[in-house]
Amino acid sequence: MSSWLDYTINGLIVGNVYALVAVGLALIFGVSRLINFAQGSIYLVGAYIGWVAVVQLHTPLPLTIIVVAVAAAIVGLIIERFGLRPLQNSVRIAPLLATIGISFVLDQLVMLTFSPNPRALPSQLPDVRFQVGGGTIGPLDLLIAGVGLTSALLLFVFLRYSKLGWAVRATAQDRDAAMQMGVDVNRVNQAVFGIAAALGGVSGLLVGMYYNQIDTAMSLQATLKGVVAEVVGGAGNVPGAVIGSLLLGLVESYGVAVFGTSYRNLFAFLLLVVVLVLRPNGLFASARQAPPEPLTGTFIAPSRPVRIPRWALAVAAAIFAILPLFPVSFYVLQTLINAWLLGMLALSLTLVAGTIGQVSLGHAALLAIGAYTSALLSLTLNVPVGLAIIGGGLMSAALGTLLISPSFRLRGHYVSIATLAIGEIVSLVILNWESVTRGPIGISGIPPLSLFGTELISPTSIYWFSFAVMVVLALLQGRLLTSHLGRSFRAIRDDDIAARAYGLSLNRYKSLAFIFGGFAAGVSGGIAAHLYSYINHETFNTQQSILALTVVILGGLGNVVGAMLGAVALVGLPEVFRIAAEYRILIYGIVLLLLVRFRPQGLLGTI
Amino acid sequence: MTASTPEPLLALSNVNTFYGQAQVHFDLSITVARGHIVCLLGGNASGKSTTMKIILGLVKPRSGDVTFDGASLVGLTTPQIVRRGIASVPEARRLFADMSVRENILMGAFVRNDREAIAQDLDKMLTLFPKLGQRLSQRAGSLSGGEQQMVAMARALMSRPRMVVMDEPTMGLSPLYVDRVLELIRTINQEGVSVFMVEQNASLALEIAHEAYVLQTGKIVLSGSARTLKDDPRIRDAYLGGAEAA
Ligand SMILES: Nc1ncnc2c1ncn2[C@@H]1O[C@H](COP(=O)(O)OP(=O)(O)O)[C@@H](O)[C@H]1O
Ligand SMILES: [Mg+2]
Repeated sequence: MSSWLDYTINGLIVGNVYALVAVGLALIFGVSRLINFAQGSIYLVGAYIGWVAVVQLHTPLPLTIIVVAVAAAIVGLIIERFGLRPLQNSVRIAPLLATIGISFVLDQLVMLTFSPNPRALPSQLPDVRFQVGGGTIGPLDLLIAGVGLTSALLLFVFLRYSKLGWAVRATAQDRDAAMQMGVDVNRVNQAVFGIAAALGGVSGLLVGMYYNQIDTAMSLQATLKGVVAEVVGGAGNVPGAVIGSLLLGLVESYGVAVFGTSYRNLFAFLLLVVVLVLRPNGLFASARQAPPEPLTGTFIAPSRPVRIPRWALAVAAAIFAILPLFPVSFYVLQTLINAWLLGMLALSLTLVAGTIGQVSLGHAALLAIGAYTSALLSLTLNVPVGLAIIGGGLMSAALGTLLISPSFRLRGHYVSIATLAIGEIVSLVILNWESVTRGPIGISGIPPLSLFGTELISPTSIYWFSFAVMVVLALLQGRLLTSHLGRSFRAIRDDDIAARAYGLSLNRYKSLAFIFGGFAAGVSGGIAAHLYSYINHETFNTQQSILALTVVILGGLGNVVGAMLGAVALVGLPEVFRIAAEYRILIYGIVLLLLVRFRPQGLLGTI
Repeated sequence: MTASTPEPLLALSNVNTFYGQAQVHFDLSITVARGHIVCLLGGNASGKSTTMKIILGLVKPRSGDVTFDGASLVGLTTPQIVRRGIASVPEARRLFADMSVRENILMGAFVRNDREAIAQDLDKMLTLFPKLGQRLSQRAGSLSGGEQQMVAMARALMSRPRMVVMDEPTMGLSPLYVDRVLELIRTINQEGVSVFMVEQNASLALEIAHEAYVLQTGKIVLSGSARTLKDDPRIRDAYLGGAEAA
């Protein structure tokens, strides 16, 4: 039986680990107003480099730590130099998307090199525990605490007493003014990325030793926890990040003590959402402080969309419609069905992210809500599948809008963080709400698709059904965008202060967009549930959210035709080139990086 | 152009600047003679701050040239330009609010490495701006506007510049501080530092300037020695025109 003291010690130790990640995020946000979504990947790389050092090279512990810190710092420097510096003059969303792409690439490279199977990372310290009060503490706990304190001290000395440290602080407070003092901002960025990566890498190593296990899923978790801690402490606030981390560690540890392990992350994300909504500048921000996101300015690259004549669209639609009449393989139809389902999700996201400028990173949650609703309606209430799918769409529209509405007042990066967290919360609620969702077991035996009592079993009929649904949704969305409502949406995206000045009610318009988008995504999830016949809390994950975002950017943010084209391209091309499944995510990451760098307006242009 | 002697310290020639599609400067030409105070006057949104940004390399001109001491600044980064000997007192001061006053002033010496001389210069600043002595360890953000202006000026001088560019140094200050700032600009100038300043308040600026230019929606409409401009009725007209355009 663990005592409260044990939970406290555990919370503080885990908090220390988070702090190493969060401090790096805070430094980076401070100087470049960027949430580095690749921070968790560096942590992952650190853990695996540590594994190589410990298990294969048998390095002693101090050397292991140094090797990991140096190697991770080098990765950080490479990311800064080749991933982000070329984007300095592009739109503000570009670096954010680039870090997402980089994180996909790094995670996949680790996975391809080391396989996705978990590995044991032995702690290099003796496994003894000392009694302290009513709890126990081990050498590894002390090591983690020691590394945390030492890093904090070194960082303090660096920021306070070195010239480069002064430059970092000055840049964080006023970039232009710092440049006018002669500060080379590129060197500052380099320093900050190097330090952040070294700390993140060491954090990964320590966590691996603490749990005696490493696997590639660590990456996203670490990014999320680091972001939570950083935002709780106040974005860009380094001491705040440390306190936020310790707080997060304690909240999680006590939460686990009371409710059980599967609730750990739920507390983390609830804490984030509460802080984002109530104190978006973090717990310690002074009241007068301006919000860290500028309130106006273009987050999305404006461009002139490619005009496609109606007849060309009609011809394309007709070709796809009659495709099953030709002798195409089952495999081709299957691939295109996936593309249509992804296309519906992309339609939803392109409306929300492109047209009203809320770049959502948790869109898969809408799929999950639609899928579970439709599955449960048809299974438990015997609702006909066609109606159940519509019910899924409506539930996604309602619940999705309700969940996102507290963060309507956020902008830019903060929307992305909030949606990411809400996405995780949905998945965790599904995992824990066993009486309704059947928890980790998932739902099996979901009835197949059917329409007016006829089961759609053949690939051809499923193909037609999903294609037709997507086209109808696309036509509706096209109508919407050319209407007065569509213009209001874009006005809000471009400048919500001005839009408010014209008397537009932001919340109402944002809600409308989420309702429409939620419906499309929910329908997609509903169809998927009946197609797969089995779903669980991991069926619709962050990877799909990011894939949808890549599709939308590929097609051109806000562009309806682009969303469908992007879906066909991203689902279809890897099939055409017969790229093995394990390389696909890598390809998606690279596509995202290339797009951001060379064609941020996408194939068909933003609208 | 103006009554300037041999080679000017700073020269903008035929500068055209754009923000996206919008043109902000139309064939702008300005010279600052060595040792002079030159003032750029103009109403709101006439392009004054953008002129500062062009000099400092924060905004790049689409065409035209900027030379300092005979060498072109176009294509250099801001830190490189600062190292050539130009220091700035930005619009609205732009102190590093969470750093101490001492740290702010010392940030001005970022381009220098001579520790002892920097320490001496810090002492010198405290004789020039005696009020700052008691404020050294205070957060810069907690100072009054006038005090912040003093810090911004001290910070600029710490790089031992050959020229200081100032964007509306008297903006938002109480009358007492306005006089003090103008007096200090004159003192700085007498120690051999050339000054290029942007002002909305023409009568004040013309008190201390050697030459002045009047900018109206991106074009120089009037220029000459401060003494002649002071009595020129057109300055009032140009001014009102500029204000209307804003
Ligand atoms: N970063 C910018 N992007 C677009 N337009 C700008 C920017 N900065 C200034 N402007 C515009 O350029 C014009 C001149 O601005 P500015 O140089 O700041 O004028 P002043 O300092 O004389 O008030 C104004 O119309 C202003 O709106
Ligand atoms: Mg100005």
